[in-house]
Amino acid sequence: MMIAELQQLAASLAGTDIGLLELRTPHGHVRLRRDGAAPENYLLEELQGHAGAPGPLSVATSTVPAMPPAVASSVGVFLHHHPLRGTPLAPPGTGVQAGQTVGLLQIGALLLPVAAPQAGVVASMLQAHGSLVGYGTALVELHPSMPPAADA
Amino acid sequence: MIEVLSSTALSTVQDLGRTGSLRWGVGTAGAMDPLALAAGNLLLGNEANAAAIEVPVFPFVARFAEDCAFALTGADCAARLDDQPLLPWWAHQARAGQVLTLAAPQPAAVWRASRAYLCLGGGVDVPEVLGSRSTQLRGAFGGHEGRALRQGDVLRAAAPGMDTCPTGFGLVPPALALPLQVDGVAAMRVLPAAEYLCYQEASRAAFWAGEWKITPQSDRYGYRLAGETLTPIQPMELRSHGIVPGVIQVPSGGQPIIQMRDAQPSGGYPKFGTVIEADLWRLGQAPIGSRVRFIETTWDDAVAALGELQGWLDEVRRLAGLHRWQRGRN
Repeated sequence: MMIAELQQLAASLAGTDIGLLELRTPHGHVRLRRDGAAPENYLLEELQGHAGAPGPLSVATSTVPAMPPAVASSVGVFLHHHPLRGTPLAPPGTGVQAGQTVGLLQIGALLLPVAAPQAGVVASMLQAHGSLVGYGTALVELHPSMPPAADA
Repeated sequence: MIEVLSSTALSTVQDLGRTGSLRWGVGTAGAMDPLALAAGNLLLGNEANAAAIEVPVFPFVARFAEDCAFALTGADCAARLDDQPLLPWWAHQARAGQVLTLAAPQPAAVWRASRAYLCLGGGVDVPEVLGSRSTQLRGAFGGHEGRALRQGDVLRAAAPGMDTCPTGFGLVPPALALPLQVDGVAAMRVLPAAEYLCYQEASRAAFWAGEWKITPQSDRYGYRLAGETLTPIQPMELRSHGIVPGVIQVPSGGQPIIQMRDAQPSGGYPKFGTVIEADLWRLGQAPIGSRVRFIETTWDDAVAALGELQGWLDEVRRLAGLHRWQRGRN
């Protein structure tokens, strides 16, 4: 990538609220960050998609153990169901296995799976069908699949 | 390797076709939906022209005798691998012993299609004959022993590639990315052909304005349509001449026949028009009993439409390649 292209990218970014742009190509890897103060380690963890890593998402607020949501592995359009089908892949209440496809991410002609990070029950869709989502956006909320406590 | 378990008729091994052999009287053969075949191959990192299995009758059941990457495109057949439901237009992986089942496509589906394609890692390994692996049914050569698949047939994947071929991703089907309909009915663009002007003006107008039903007398050889009778200004007698898939002939009864992939290379009926090459996949997927419409087009637009298809395939190749590269990197 040429310096002129980087300058052009930086100029384009200046007009947006994008905090971090990462570009991976077969020729190299570029990361442009608007706020240089953010801790590098935190960003790296986020980039590598360490769903289990300590972070804002795993803060437990109740007796129910918090579960990380299924997140977007890329920028794309979030789909609840396959474009050829009318029924959602995993409507709320569906029990899912770790790695099971709970939604799709459309990038141009390509469809990527949105995978459940752990086994659980789909609680809710956090983004509407057809919405444009960014890298790392939480897409599907999951709850543990264990039965509710008897004193609930 | 996969073994065919079902006794369903008419499934064949096809690639993009045996072009360049018409001069020897050898028809084109090849996938009725070449776009689906090419896309399935690109999902697996195969060459677009690799051989795959075209399935027009259901259920189709096959057992994987070894671990194998595969892709399903074409009609959505509510496919299952053992008991696990599979997404359509998607690259999957099978373990040795798993059984793939394709059920009949739903008539109420978002995209009403009739043929499914099962692509295997590296392509279906059958010998190339006259530059193609397509089954030439009329000549009984090419494909798997020159015939449709039968129960017990075993086909080899050229490169099952379980450990090297990332799967688990798919495509938005071109029927949705490149839709073409008139009044909610699947449509194809047609170039008027040599004898077009020999038909009465009312017949010519009716051809473009009306719906055409695909009759049960329709197969890989040709589609017989039912609709308004096409009447010539005066009776015609022609000598036999070369014809290609897409040519719309009108026998004396006035109900058109569209030549499809297994068409013979010559015929003597008047030629009313030609479904453009870029839209033959749409027709190839139109189920028996469904209705289609025709849109008059020009040579330049027909060439541009072919470029649009190629552009879609190029984008699929680029995105699938980039995704595989990224997966290999992580």
